[in-house]
Amino acid sequence: MPGILETTLLLSVPLLLAAAGELVLERSGSLQIGMEGTMLTGAFVAFAIVHAGKSPGAGLWGAVAAGLLSGALFALFAIVLRADPILTGTAWNLLAAGSTAFGYELIAGKTGAVLELPSLPVVVMGLPWAGLAAFAFPVILHIFFSRTRPGLVLGAAGETPMAVRAQGYSVAGVRSLASLFSGALSGAGGAVLTLSISHTFVEGLTAGRGFLALGIVVFARWRPLALLPATLLVAGATALQYRLQAGGSTQIPYAVFIALPSLLSLAALAVATSRRGAPKALGTPAP
Amino acid sequence: MKRLFTGWSWIPWLTYGAAAGLSVALVLIAGGSPAASARALIESSVLSAPALGESLSRLTGILFSALAAVLAFRGGVLNIGIEGQFLMGGIAAAAIGPMTGLGAASMPLALLASALAGALACLPAAWLSESRGVPPVLSTILLNLVFAAAVTWAVRGPLRDPAGDYPQSRPIPDEQAISTMVPGTRITPAPFLALAAAAGLAVFLWKTSPGLKLRAAGDSPLAAKSAGLSDVKIRTWVFLGSGGLAGLGGGLEVLSVTRRLYDPFATGTGYSGIAAALLGATDPLGAILSSFFLAALGAGSRAMEREAGVPAAIATIIPALAVLAVLTHRAWRERGQ
Repeated sequence: MPGILETTLLLSVPLLLAAAGELVLERSGSLQIGMEGTMLTGAFVAFAIVHAGKSPGAGLWGAVAAGLLSGALFALFAIVLRADPILTGTAWNLLAAGSTAFGYELIAGKTGAVLELPSLPVVVMGLPWAGLAAFAFPVILHIFFSRTRPGLVLGAAGETPMAVRAQGYSVAGVRSLASLFSGALSGAGGAVLTLSISHTFVEGLTAGRGFLALGIVVFARWRPLALLPATLLVAGATALQYRLQAGGSTQIPYAVFIALPSLLSLAALAVATSRRGAPKALGTPAP
Repeated sequence: MKRLFTGWSWIPWLTYGAAAGLSVALVLIAGGSPAASARALIESSVLSAPALGESLSRLTGILFSALAAVLAFRGGVLNIGIEGQFLMGGIAAAAIGPMTGLGAASMPLALLASALAGALACLPAAWLSESRGVPPVLSTILLNLVFAAAVTWAVRGPLRDPAGDYPQSRPIPDEQAISTMVPGTRITPAPFLALAAAAGLAVFLWKTSPGLKLRAAGDSPLAAKSAGLSDVKIRTWVFLGSGGLAGLGGGLEVLSVTRRLYDPFATGTGYSGIAAALLGATDPLGAILSSFFLAALGAGSRAMEREAGVPAAIATIIPALAVLAVLTHRAWRERGQ
């Protein structure tokens, strides 16, 4: 049984990838609550590809492609056509839940047997290279937002979209690119979940992780570097829960650990005296 | 060319066509015959008393969730937490019977408690929204996870049935439950209560002065405020009312359908309710039709899977596609204004 540190790091990967993607999208001013669906889609596509005999690496890239497509769909509906982003995300979660269950049944039948999949190769500390990349993203994004011109434009699209438009940029274009990025990362997060954590796919595999990633972004107050401690705390609580459960300890009900990440995010929201940190134009249509 | 894009537009109808086309394509991909699938679907959802009972038993939870969404959206509150409020209602209903030991008298009490639990489940989000400026979308989604964990805890802790091996609550005894009215079917009074609630909500929204104020506050909060209405008060009441309806749905689900609380419980009913509200044009009477459509789809999809080999999950896909079409339609209409 791997140590609690390794488990924590591994469980952090899907959350970190999805949260990093969502952070970029929210900083650009859009809000996708359908990451749960995108992660689930990535998880399923990775399963389908590896189950068909391709390598786990191919499964991961397939999930990234599926995530890109999901991001493009969200951009089309919520950013270009200006449908309500929250309701689009809700519909997307339903669509992904239904489609992946549908696809899984076509592939695996109704046997109920668990189809074990080969894992992504481990590089270090029990992590695949996608896992290492996940830990690099907060740092890369910090530099992106604070030191690069595209990063500044993207951040401005979420704070003062009119000014960005006046500069001659298309706010919808910026947000659509952010949506593609966010989709790709969420898809990759789902693939890691299938290939390195659960080693199989089941209906509803993500079990709320996409929603948790949304909470982590809030908990981190939309700051890329803060994603690291926020995610490690959430993943650490989950790893501790696994350990206590395996040890048969019933001192602390395990529901407490399930609720802990959301409670932490809610507490972070309650303690902050204002929406400081949240992009000012979050969830508003592109001018 | 310009005339094509103004006035009556064909673009939205393209999206409905695409949604329908995709649904048929899925049936074909699964190797099913569309005609046989449709027949199985209709036969096992409406064409016999037991089939209708199955559809109606699914209607209760979806319609109450849809009404919760209609009330919230009309009042300008994006309550995405219906799922969690529904669960809290379920917990309350499963707890009251065994706790009070009142026998048959505990049933109305359980319903009252479930509505109250659903309303209370909104309080953190309402408070965060009004005093901390936190968008209800974020807080209600997080609360959904918290309340799902509450179910996990309840069925393993205080509500656990000591008799069984599974973590689930004690069964609701017959005299405390809402039982069938037609022997041999699952037709209970519960779905009719949901229909009555829909009618009541329609009257409230369209025919009463508080309903008018609520819609005004939802349509344009600033205008309502300058007209002297307290938008905070209205939004808080809308939140509580919406949660109460969702909670009542969860309570009725326990008392009339499942007779127990287990984990996970009725996953996705709250989200289906949001879909039904949108498909029903955010109108209580429209929500009756769309909720029944979703419920019948859910009931018939099992038979479709058995007889035509089409996975039952298509019952989740079709409403989702339809909602995307409706959202596109709405966005297109607003763009024209």
